[in-house]
Amino acid sequence: MLPFLIKRLGFAALTLFCVLTLVFLIVRILPGDPALVILGDQASPASIAALHKRLGLDQPVLVQYGQFLLQAVQGNLGNSMVTGRPVSEEILAVLPYTMELTIAALILGVLLGVPAGVWAAVKRNRLPDYVLRFISLLGLSLPAFVAAIILLMVFAIQLRWFPVISAGTGETIADRLRQMALPTIALALIMMTYITRVTRSAMLEVLSQDFVRTARAKGASPATVVWKHALGNCLIPITTVVGLYLGILIGNSVLTEIVFSRPGLGKLILTALTQRDYTLLQGMIVVYTLMVVVVNLLTDLTYGILDPRVQYK
Amino acid sequence: MMHLRFTKAGVLAALLAGSALAPLPALAAKTELTLGAAAADIGNLDPHYSASTTDRTLVAWVFGGLVRFAPGTTDPATIEPDLAESWESSDDKLVWTFKLRKGVQFHHNYGEVTAEDVVFSLQKSADPQRSAFATDYAAFEKIEAVDPYTVRITLKNVIPSVLGPLANYAGGFIVSKKAYEERGESFSRNPVGFGPFQLDSIEPGVAVHFSAHKDYFRGTPKLTKVTYRFLNAAAARDLAFVAGEVDAATGLADPNWLKRTQAIEGATVDIFDPAELTLLHINTKKPPFDDIRVRRALAYAVDSSRVATYRGAEFTRVAKSVVPSNNLGYTEDNGHVTFDADKAKALLAEAGYPDGLSVKMISSQLPSYESSNQVLQAQLEEVGINMELEPVEHATWHQMIRQDVSPLVSYGAARFPVADVYLSQFFHSSSAIGSPTAVTNFSHCDVADKQIEAARVETDPAKQLELWHEAQRLIIEAVCAIPTTETAGVWARRENLNWGFEFKGSMSLGPLVTELTHFTE
Repeated sequence: MLPFLIKRLGFAALTLFCVLTLVFLIVRILPGDPALVILGDQASPASIAALHKRLGLDQPVLVQYGQFLLQAVQGNLGNSMVTGRPVSEEILAVLPYTMELTIAALILGVLLGVPAGVWAAVKRNRLPDYVLRFISLLGLSLPAFVAAIILLMVFAIQLRWFPVISAGTGETIADRLRQMALPTIALALIMMTYITRVTRSAMLEVLSQDFVRTARAKGASPATVVWKHALGNCLIPITTVVGLYLGILIGNSVLTEIVFSRPGLGKLILTALTQRDYTLLQGMIVVYTLMVVVVNLLTDLTYGILDPRVQYK
Repeated sequence: MMHLRFTKAGVLAALLAGSALAPLPALAAKTELTLGAAAADIGNLDPHYSASTTDRTLVAWVFGGLVRFAPGTTDPATIEPDLAESWESSDDKLVWTFKLRKGVQFHHNYGEVTAEDVVFSLQKSADPQRSAFATDYAAFEKIEAVDPYTVRITLKNVIPSVLGPLANYAGGFIVSKKAYEERGESFSRNPVGFGPFQLDSIEPGVAVHFSAHKDYFRGTPKLTKVTYRFLNAAAARDLAFVAGEVDAATGLADPNWLKRTQAIEGATVDIFDPAELTLLHINTKKPPFDDIRVRRALAYAVDSSRVATYRGAEFTRVAKSVVPSNNLGYTEDNGHVTFDADKAKALLAEAGYPDGLSVKMISSQLPSYESSNQVLQAQLEEVGINMELEPVEHATWHQMIRQDVSPLVSYGAARFPVADVYLSQFFHSSSAIGSPTAVTNFSHCDVADKQIEAARVETDPAKQLELWHEAQRLIIEAVCAIPTTETAGVWARRENLNWGFEFKGSMSLGPLVTELTHFTE
């Protein structure tokens, strides 16, 4: 276990270094000048030069790279070029929003998706199966922001159950839940469709295996067979999908954030990109890379819990 | 298997629970204002760096100047006292003395505004290390405090408008010296001014919160709190406005949006100056446009009225000169030609392009730019000019057009409303892109340098106007740029929200919230 962890963390560090170098170079090759964005289009070349100097952009790229690496090793991501605040502060300000939304959507998606998949498999080629397959196909093909707008039109405008602006810091837990309900549902629906499909196909495979017939033959109740014996053996593919999708969810929630007017990592990186905020972009890539690495690691470790036969070498 | 059973009672209970959670309609007049803005976040609230629409809008609530534009206008003729009670100038218009109002208080207990703060602020504005607007103060030789309530400004030479750079705009805002020195870099997120509203807190990417400045010298504001929410997605902003979660919101200069918004019960729309003037700048130094006949052909080929109709006549006017129509010094009597396809074709043939020509234009992907450029493209095709649009992301575009790689540049901008600013930045040879003093002269125009310079130091207002008019005539004659459209700003508002003045214009590019802004009902 320990050598496995050390090896994985070593790879993670190497990945991080490569990604950082790439990002550092790409943002500087990209046309567009942060000083022009900050000072506006009437700025004189003198004030642009003064700002370049203050931001360190007048230094040779290699010197900038060296300074950046030196700071990064010390855990310092620098200051945002646009707001002047530490990059870590900018990220930490929106991270809770992304985390709470991702986790809530994950839980809801699993709670809905797993039973739906199981049900579809059990009722294979009968009405519930068709309905669920149709719904999940719809969920896969409907772009996230369309679903989000429909949810807003129905539940926030017509029924007025939830607010349109989903970014509030509600004073009570009920307030907070009400504010994040719609974006959570929008994201969870997509999550659910993936999980339903994977659960269904994994269940179909498992249900046709010998040990299921044995379990039925020895008189186990249908519920025990399905939920304990069969589902238990489907958890590895489901976990894989959840792990994969979690990474996507963290990175791709930008449309959901925009439509529901919520702050979050997706929106922050979009702003950083349009403003050419080099330091903020670099910092965010570090965070993204770290998250993907951590989620992958957790997924791998979960396999061992779910299936004792899995060995970490 | 689980079985869901919907009963009438269950549905009713759910509906009731929902309506109980919904916000109650206000019965008494509200005192808390919420605005929804098309922005992702604030940039820099140090007013001498505030360049974006959002930053400019917000600093105008927090700060004041020596003088101010009458709320709701962008007309320099309306400039009235703000911190300064009165002023006088020497006979040669080089020494200006301002008497300050006594007892004006800064926010957050930073004390009385004195001449020392004014001197500090203006010196900061004039310093390129501490301001983005230093060039506006190039003619300021000395700024000094005579006594705590008197400021004297000495100019190197006469300038078109002395009150302009001292008004509630860009470098003219007065900051608290003590607060600036204490807060340093963080002043840009903790600004201290003497305006009607003070900044309480910033939720990054969510909202900025303001409260009334109780000691505001024109009286305690009627509103107690103002929240400026970042709702960057147009759809989300519209829905929030419909749901009543914001009282006013940035609109879209789009005829469909206008129709939709006016149909909402209790909603109205404010359309305001400064209208952004869009010009098609033509590089006069590179083929094929170094030939004046080709440029003239282009001028005849552009039918601005079609772009204006497409963008919506309510917000978009046909532009008739190379400076915006609200500018001091603007004239329509400038020889600008109107659409004539036959003349355009004849000129092209004369210049050696009987079969037309192809030209590339790098254009911004911002929706407003993209749609207008496409209309333009279709028009030019009718006279045989094949304009290849090369759309790039907005910040990329800003850099590329400054590298002289696009022979045509369609550029929209609003500036301080005195002709000198627009003419200097877009048409004086010293502003030509590529030069060390470059600003936004994309055409490399140099035909009106003499008039622009002479107007700056002309002390006779009538002669000054004539010089600006002449400059416009020369620029139009040389076809350095073709005027296309002027697009005004637009905001949706609940009818029960009263800005406190007639909102026809805003130097801060967004609604000005003043001590008089209130809700009726």
